[in-house]
Amino acid sequence: MSRKRPRWAAEAAGLLLSLLVVVPLYFIVVNSFKDKAGAAAMSLALPRKWFLLSNYAEMIDAGGVLTGLKNSALVTFATVALLIVLCSMTAFTLQRKNTRMSGLLYLLILLGLMIPLQIIPAYFITYYLHVKTYLAAIVMLAVTNFSFGTFLYTGFYKSIPREIDESAIVDGVGPYRLFFGIIFPLLRPVTVTLIIISFMGVWNDFGITIYFLNSPRNYTVTLTIFNFLGTYSSDWNLIFANVVLVSAPVVIVYLLLQRYIIDGMTAGSVKG
Amino acid sequence: MKPTKNKPYTYTLILPGMLLYAVFFLVPSLFGGVLSFANIGRFSFSDIRFTGWTNYINVLTDDYLSAAIRNSFVFAFATTLLKVGIGTALAVFLNRKLRATNYLRTVAFLPAVLSTVAVGVFFTSAMHPTNGMINRFLHAVGLGAIAPDWLTDPHLAIYSLVGIETWKWSGFTMAIVLAGLQSISKDYYESANIEGASEWQQFRSITFPLVLPYFNNALIVNLIGGLKVFDLVQAVTQGGPGSATEVFGTLVFKSFGSGRLGEGAAASILLSLIVIAITLPTWKLIARKEVEL
Repeated sequence: MSRKRPRWAAEAAGLLLSLLVVVPLYFIVVNSFKDKAGAAAMSLALPRKWFLLSNYAEMIDAGGVLTGLKNSALVTFATVALLIVLCSMTAFTLQRKNTRMSGLLYLLILLGLMIPLQIIPAYFITYYLHVKTYLAAIVMLAVTNFSFGTFLYTGFYKSIPREIDESAIVDGVGPYRLFFGIIFPLLRPVTVTLIIISFMGVWNDFGITIYFLNSPRNYTVTLTIFNFLGTYSSDWNLIFANVVLVSAPVVIVYLLLQRYIIDGMTAGSVKG
Repeated sequence: MKPTKNKPYTYTLILPGMLLYAVFFLVPSLFGGVLSFANIGRFSFSDIRFTGWTNYINVLTDDYLSAAIRNSFVFAFATTLLKVGIGTALAVFLNRKLRATNYLRTVAFLPAVLSTVAVGVFFTSAMHPTNGMINRFLHAVGLGAIAPDWLTDPHLAIYSLVGIETWKWSGFTMAIVLAGLQSISKDYYESANIEGASEWQQFRSITFPLVLPYFNNALIVNLIGGLKVFDLVQAVTQGGPGSATEVFGTLVFKSFGSGRLGEGAAASILLSLIVIAITLPTWKLIARKEVEL
């Protein structure tokens, strides 16, 4: 406030810095429209000839992308649905009950925010229980996001007054109707946050799906990049087209719902 | 009404979630401890042969395996330093009204939502020694002589990965610190101004203490994230060249592929112990607060 640095200098510095993010994005998109030789040159120039549809059609065809999209939709939808139900129910009872037991269980759940998944024994157990491929990926993605979801709902329940529960109980409502009929409909804002955040997490996931969805038939769309590593590893135009396709949904969701996403993704670090 | 206070809430609701979490997260955590003391090549209980501390000794003494531990620490500390440093600078820079503020915040956070694989693929091309965007830029500004082999020079590769990780997550760290800066009521500064407090005094007695918790969280989150890294390394270098960028995550993945499951389990347990040791001091604080809820 005391030093009056000219505002335009700050604006200009900011815009210049933003190029560090904007230029890579531009580079990927523009090179996804070039021919093989053009993309291999890796330049920022506009394509001499635009391969708008043919590159993408070839990429979708060669990369098993339709299968990938189908698998991504299945895994993402199932995981997110599972998370909403499991986390909202768990958090409700644990937040409302005020006992040593509920506190202990909540701590046990919060542990999952900190310690990494032990993937080898986890794989062992899924294998032993005959939980395979999609189901295994869905279950593992659900349990690794379970702690975060429960944490998110718990924070929200603190803002729902107990008077609501109490007046329902006076009216003779049982525990299940209390939760599903009265409480659950109030959760829409936090459920939207959870849907967006876990959609992005599951869509982008690599660390878990790579273990459980390990053949091209099972790949999610994010894993289809591996279909290009062998035969097509020098076809940068196709590879960049694949990157655009994988990134487009999350970028669009981010641009539309930015506030939700930044708040949700930083929730664990801002409220702790 | 007192005795019925807890009645309307039933543990049945937590059963499905808790059961899945226990079977597929908590049990593996404990079972990992068991497997880390065993020699095991297949996923079968009859294949477990206990060998004492062998796996841990191998992980800590074998050149290849211990390189992974060293690299994980280098990666975690270097990225934390850079992400928190740059993130804080960005937060301070963007905690004011510029015409471009909204645009800049949007752009700064954007890399955090991209898939690591997509980011990895881009940087694999950008760090190409001859054609890559970065070395082309160095040539264009007359620094062609120092243009390095970002990902194939064994001494440099891990730091190139540090750079990519920093690019992806600095905006995220910015958002955490920015949330802290914006949680401070303007009233504090107003009354400080009335009392004639200098800018430094305001920073020391208002800004710093109030942002500190957020700053600590940013440190911890980044440190854990750095130690846990897997997908970025797997997408860009797969731990190579040689073992130059091997980390805990890639080590476990390789042991999974090669059937040296006991060593993988031991590396994984070591990683967890390190993460716990780092977070425990702050964890106690959080735990106390949460139990009282």
